[in-house]
Amino acid sequence: MLELLILLVCGSILVSGVLAVVLGNLMAAMISAGLASLFAAVSYVLLAAPDVAMAEAAIGSGLATLIFLYAIRKTNGGGE
Amino acid sequence: MADIILRVAVVLIFFSIVLGVLRLIIGRTAVDRVVAIDMLTVVSIAMIALYAHLSGRFVYIDVALVYGLLSFLAVLAIARFLEKGP
Repeated sequence: MLELLILLVCGSILVSGVLAVVLGNLMAAMISAGLASLFAAVSYVLLAAPDVAMAEAAIGSGLATLIFLYAIRKTNGGGE
Repeated sequence: MADIILRVAVVLIFFSIVLGVLRLIIGRTAVDRVVAIDMLTVVSIAMIALYAHLSGRFVYIDVALVYGLLSFLAVLAIARFLEKGP
């Protein structure tokens, strides 16, 4: 039962990673990269590494998205 | 009784992740994708808490707590950016 959920999380990491590469809009690509980081944190918990998951949740999903947003705002405003 | 409730919770989390990722894939505007990632954050917090109960290790609750405290920041920044424009 739980194995299916783990497989779904791993598939979602794959889908959002592909989406972050494929999407043309910079804003949507940044959101997809944040989702990949979010599900990576969940899979770290499922692999019994809670401290790594905490660092990933704080840095990968929180801080990296903010820095990407700042960079998009500084360059061309999230256009094509 | 509690076993049935936990099994229903696993099924609900499964379908929430499927529908949220579908919304992220087909989402027309950036606002749709922001709402999808916000929902998936809440679902993943519920999933970590459920796994903490199922595995019997209550250290994992701390991860869910930290995640709930920090996850609103990115969504807040994106919403402010979308409202004010570049």
